[in-house]
Amino acid sequence: MTGHYCDLSNADVLLSCGSNNLENHPVSSKWVQRALDAGATWIVVDPRYTRTASQADIYCPIRSGTDIAFYGGLINYIIENRLEQTEYVNEYTNATYLIKDSYNFDPETGFFSGWSEADHKYDTSAWGYQVESETDGAQAWMSEAGVPKYTPKAVKTIKRIASIDDTSNPDYKHSVWAIMKEHYSRYTIETVCDICGMDAATLELVYKTYASTGAPEKSGTIMYALGQTQHHYGSQNTRIMTLVQLLLGNAGIAGGGVNALRGEPNVQGATDMAMLVFDFPGYLKWPSVTDTPTLRKWLETQPNAQGYYVNKPKFLIAGLKEWYGKNATVDNDYGYDWLPKIPKNGAIYTTIGTFELMDQGIMKGYFAWGQNPVVSDPNAKFNRNAMAKLDWLVVADWVVTATASFWNAPDMDPSQINTEVYLMPAALIYEKSGTIANSGRWLQWRQKAVEPIDEAKPDYEICDMLWREISKLYQAEGGACPEAILNVKWDYYVDGKIDPRPVAWALNGYEIDDSTDLGAKAPKLLPNFTKLTADGKTANAIWIYGGFYNNNADPYDPAIQPVARRHTKIDSEDGVNGKEMVPVPDKDPGNIRLYPSWAFSWPANRRVIYNRASADAKGKPWNPDRVLVAWDDSKKEWIRNDVPDFGFSTTAEDGTVTHNPPEKCPAFFMKDELHANFVTTGMKDAPLPEHYEPFETPVEKNLLNGALNSPMIKFAENESVKKGDRSQYPIVATTYSITEHWQTGAQTRMCPVLDEIQPRQFIEIGEALAAEKGIANGDEVVVFNNRSEVRMNALVTKRIQPLTVQGQTVHLVGMIHHWDWTNRYSTGEVTNELTPNVGDPNSFIPEYKAFLVDVRKA
Amino acid sequence: MELTRRGFFKATALAFAGSMAYELSTRSAAFAIDGDADDWKLVNTEEYTNICCYCSGGCGVICSVRDGELINLEGDPDHPINEGCLCPKGAAMFQLRNIVDDKTGEIIHNPERVTKPLVRRPGASEWEEISWDQMIQEIARHVKDTRDATFIDKEDGVTCNYTPAIGSMGGSQQNSEEEYLILKVMRSLGIVAIDNQARV
Amino acid sequence: MATVQYELNRTHLAERNAYAASEKAILFDSSRCSGCKGCMVACKCWNMLPSPMELNSQEWNASLQCPYDLGPNTRLTITFRELDSTSPYRPVDWAIGRRACMHCTDAGCVNVCPTGALFHNEDGLVTYDASKCIGCSYCLGACPFDVPRHIGKDDLSGTAIRINKCTGCPDRVSHGMNPACVTTCQPGALQFGDRTEMVKIAEERAAALKAKGYENASVYGINEMGGTHVIYVLKYGLDGYELPANPSISWMTSASEIMKPVLGIGFIALVAGLGACLLSGIGYRRDELRYDEVNHDVIDVDTGDIVKHIDKEAGER
Repeated sequence: MTGHYCDLSNADVLLSCGSNNLENHPVSSKWVQRALDAGATWIVVDPRYTRTASQADIYCPIRSGTDIAFYGGLINYIIENRLEQTEYVNEYTNATYLIKDSYNFDPETGFFSGWSEADHKYDTSAWGYQVESETDGAQAWMSEAGVPKYTPKAVKTIKRIASIDDTSNPDYKHSVWAIMKEHYSRYTIETVCDICGMDAATLELVYKTYASTGAPEKSGTIMYALGQTQHHYGSQNTRIMTLVQLLLGNAGIAGGGVNALRGEPNVQGATDMAMLVFDFPGYLKWPSVTDTPTLRKWLETQPNAQGYYVNKPKFLIAGLKEWYGKNATVDNDYGYDWLPKIPKNGAIYTTIGTFELMDQGIMKGYFAWGQNPVVSDPNAKFNRNAMAKLDWLVVADWVVTATASFWNAPDMDPSQINTEVYLMPAALIYEKSGTIANSGRWLQWRQKAVEPIDEAKPDYEICDMLWREISKLYQAEGGACPEAILNVKWDYYVDGKIDPRPVAWALNGYEIDDSTDLGAKAPKLLPNFTKLTADGKTANAIWIYGGFYNNNADPYDPAIQPVARRHTKIDSEDGVNGKEMVPVPDKDPGNIRLYPSWAFSWPANRRVIYNRASADAKGKPWNPDRVLVAWDDSKKEWIRNDVPDFGFSTTAEDGTVTHNPPEKCPAFFMKDELHANFVTTGMKDAPLPEHYEPFETPVEKNLLNGALNSPMIKFAENESVKKGDRSQYPIVATTYSITEHWQTGAQTRMCPVLDEIQPRQFIEIGEALAAEKGIANGDEVVVFNNRSEVRMNALVTKRIQPLTVQGQTVHLVGMIHHWDWTNRYSTGEVTNELTPNVGDPNSFIPEYKAFLVDVRKA
Repeated sequence: MELTRRGFFKATALAFAGSMAYELSTRSAAFAIDGDADDWKLVNTEEYTNICCYCSGGCGVICSVRDGELINLEGDPDHPINEGCLCPKGAAMFQLRNIVDDKTGEIIHNPERVTKPLVRRPGASEWEEISWDQMIQEIARHVKDTRDATFIDKEDGVTCNYTPAIGSMGGSQQNSEEEYLILKVMRSLGIVAIDNQARV
Repeated sequence: MATVQYELNRTHLAERNAYAASEKAILFDSSRCSGCKGCMVACKCWNMLPSPMELNSQEWNASLQCPYDLGPNTRLTITFRELDSTSPYRPVDWAIGRRACMHCTDAGCVNVCPTGALFHNEDGLVTYDASKCIGCSYCLGACPFDVPRHIGKDDLSGTAIRINKCTGCPDRVSHGMNPACVTTCQPGALQFGDRTEMVKIAEERAAALKAKGYENASVYGINEMGGTHVIYVLKYGLDGYELPANPSISWMTSASEIMKPVLGIGFIALVAGLGACLLSGIGYRRDELRYDEVNHDVIDVDTGDIVKHIDKEAGER
């Protein structure tokens, strides 16, 4: 989330699209209700009339997988009716920037310019800016001792028009604004309804209501979740929400933002921590053979030329220092080459590709840390058969998951499966301590309440045992590239025992030299990430967490760290545990529920990111009742209810701090051009989001362009996918969670009370389709397509209505996915045997949310 | 009704055994009112704050513990996000560890939970128990054998030091410190096939 | 609104001085309820009520309403009804309701309880002392909302039988906490406080819903059964919520009240006899019976026979 849960209450209009937030993020109900009580309007757009929809002011149905058409229509509606927040668009976005002549989109084919059929990808530079001039991007710190030598990017000045109304400018047609306007002019109300299936009156009401937040003082928030992202154009779904929010001036304000309601307890943390093929912690790029074969190449290509991300070298080198400690020196590129590099065909190492690698006999060993991919990943039957080719499998979990017992699935013959499987019993969340990041980027400390039962152990202890044993083997025997293992710094001990606190120091950052040994002595913790350096004198595992655990009064005491704050005031007489707390602000500055003295929000305890955009160019807040930051011209200083997301002050050599005036504080200083992007070169599949149909679609053609699927769809060519055709399988299926259970059910089906309040796997079927198929409520049905067939019970309901799309009736069925053959209380079948293992080229997320099936009574 | 609660960390810290010593939770005046009735469920409990393990809303919970065992788990009324409330999954977190036996009415450890290391040998149709030490040694050997046999040190002349033969999935269930340790172990082994629950 | 039907009850009411300032109530606002069932789980976890543990033994009625009804170990269930839509902007009027003890002022169960096991506590909520319960099961028949349930075998032998129903969590309330269900409710659909305040909030909310176009929005519990201590805001009016329009105490309940002094001295055989009589009139055994929503018939699942017709118009359940 760019904001956080409590901030939802600041919105004037709330839009849930691709998120069944009351069911799957029930705490959102509290904050949405507060907004409604204050007079807000809530719109829910969903293929089903969910428990969430039942509470909304406006419900709008939509065919699963057509969100870009829906949002594209909204953009067209905003632009045509001039409902954008004009000053915001002119000042804070790249709307006035000029794009190169080489940019083009051809509705006839559905392709943008830059496409290479041979490479099957776009050359995204075809969508780049017209550059006016370039200047040297060097900064003083880059030449200091210990900083690797590299040539920083040049700062580019981009050609612009005066404003979005500068239509007489001969270059107007090359402006981002003009390009966007033309691009979405095809997305008329009629076309959108014909694609998405809602009626025009409802759609116009939705557009009118949401576009009303383009008024400068109004805020609109968008809540989304996997309903938006689990499509082969899921990243573009997310982008188009950003476009809407930028047009309406809803990014960076209280009650605004593009808010991903994330679905796993610490998935925000896992994403921050780069538990992903292509990432390095803190949203940096992991080294790759193709783009960043050397440290120098990384330093020359990854940082921005201006704005805050010129500092990326500091974050990477501090990260390498944390990784390798004293073994990382400027002379060995801080150990850069010991890290594995992503090979040329990196995409095959993402989740979908991983099972193909198993099937091909390339992948031989697999770890599953509290994850149950045999149930949660698409084309599950193919996956578990692929897993049978593994030599070994290690699972750490609380229960015997389906992944751990894939060999015991009803259709598997254990005697034919030679995989050796280890199940490591893991401690529950309240049987260990540590930090967790929520959707709103709040880092909070978990206290251990009880000892793990029996032989269960925390994952940190499991990791430590494993690492020490592996290191011992390489120490004793050598092997392939032992230096990549033996040079690793591993000193996260307290009194000789592995402990999360030294790891927390590493996540925060500290001063390091060759004598540093976290296991022997606490280091000097850094106050925040601005103190990180590229000269090897600081270590930090993930720069964005800098400041979350920085209290040197006692680094061994989590209770006095920002991560554990509970509205503790700075002036409390005895601090906490008799120790001084790091200063924190009031409980609720500005009365907008930022709660900065509760826990720590990365980055820098900032609660709403991009918050410079909450005030106009002169620093005057768009809404005087919802002030994040404001420029006080009489005092020449910034009022800061939130931590500014811009360089608000300058410290002179003598330590004097002066505040920088508003004109010196660009709103999006994390972007290379210091402005938010409508058209971008940052996505692999399109510079502007464009509607394509789901991989398996119930319609014959794409009404908006000549390509049915996105040209960049991933993995569609794999044999295992077994694409189904609409003539065989005319029904649109989607998968989702319900509030009573969670994910693969491994955690919730183990709780008898949750099995009692929802004991059965079901498929929701509308009354019309049920009648057509002779299915009565509660009947067992078979849901089938080319990939598998799955049995479950029918829940026949008025809440799913057929839609009329391109003149035909399209039925939707919805399946929950919380069941499998394991568990002693409640069992079922694996819904994901039906989902297609194709995905998005940017995020590699699978297309769970729209595919084709047929249904018959069992 | 307003519940009045004071800061958890203000009162005197209890000395807990072993690794819990630094947690510095205290008995709470709000929940664990002392001894006015012996049958008060929370009498003489210690309270520990934790965060829910489901949707990433980050709701605060309070674990009430007596004699080292979990007695109750419910929302943390001081927590600004959930203000003491929990959804059904969060409210059922107690049952991850303890449940009421439907035959006897007694509180028992949840029998579905796995609490001993297990191994399934090739071709076997059952799990066997194994010691932690033995299991870790076997896994380390598997990892080394697979890594050494498949390691690729150069691609197109570029040092790349990776193995295509091992994958690691997961992390969203762990604490951030554990995520870093998992990442560090897996990447240091040369694994590139790393993913977590971000897409499911 | 229901009128109090019996002389006896009026006397009872007057004696109790209903809605004293100290009386509390639970407010259930169906228009805020997201049907998450967190309340059901919190109730079970706090009160240590078991759930079925045998594989796939849980009852499922092809509905989100699980369990479908109250049970020996289920004091609270959330109900879901799909009514025909009254707006072009939604496909269905989806009524999400709550079924649990209403904590009546004029409480049939209290009236009929021969041992004083069921009683009103100082907050006005109907709680019970399990140690006094002799398992006579009169309360089952006496309740116009079909709330109390047996624990244990239904053999009417006395000692092993206990009833179960919502107590209002008096242990929590006496320690300054809200009932478990109220505590956990994320959207604030459940509140707990002074009854007068809860009634006021409910009436304001119903008016606000009407203004928003929910024409049938209403408040329930202000006067029913002498005033209940669970006040409902009904977003879609009475039809969607499994609540009787005119709840009343059956004649037998009143009769048993008269007989209470006799019963109280411990004639177990008489107790059992009257209990059997009450039970046969109601006959709720939901695990074997199915309720036909259209015709309001209770149907024996095995034989298909209509066991009982519920006359909804007359307020029967």
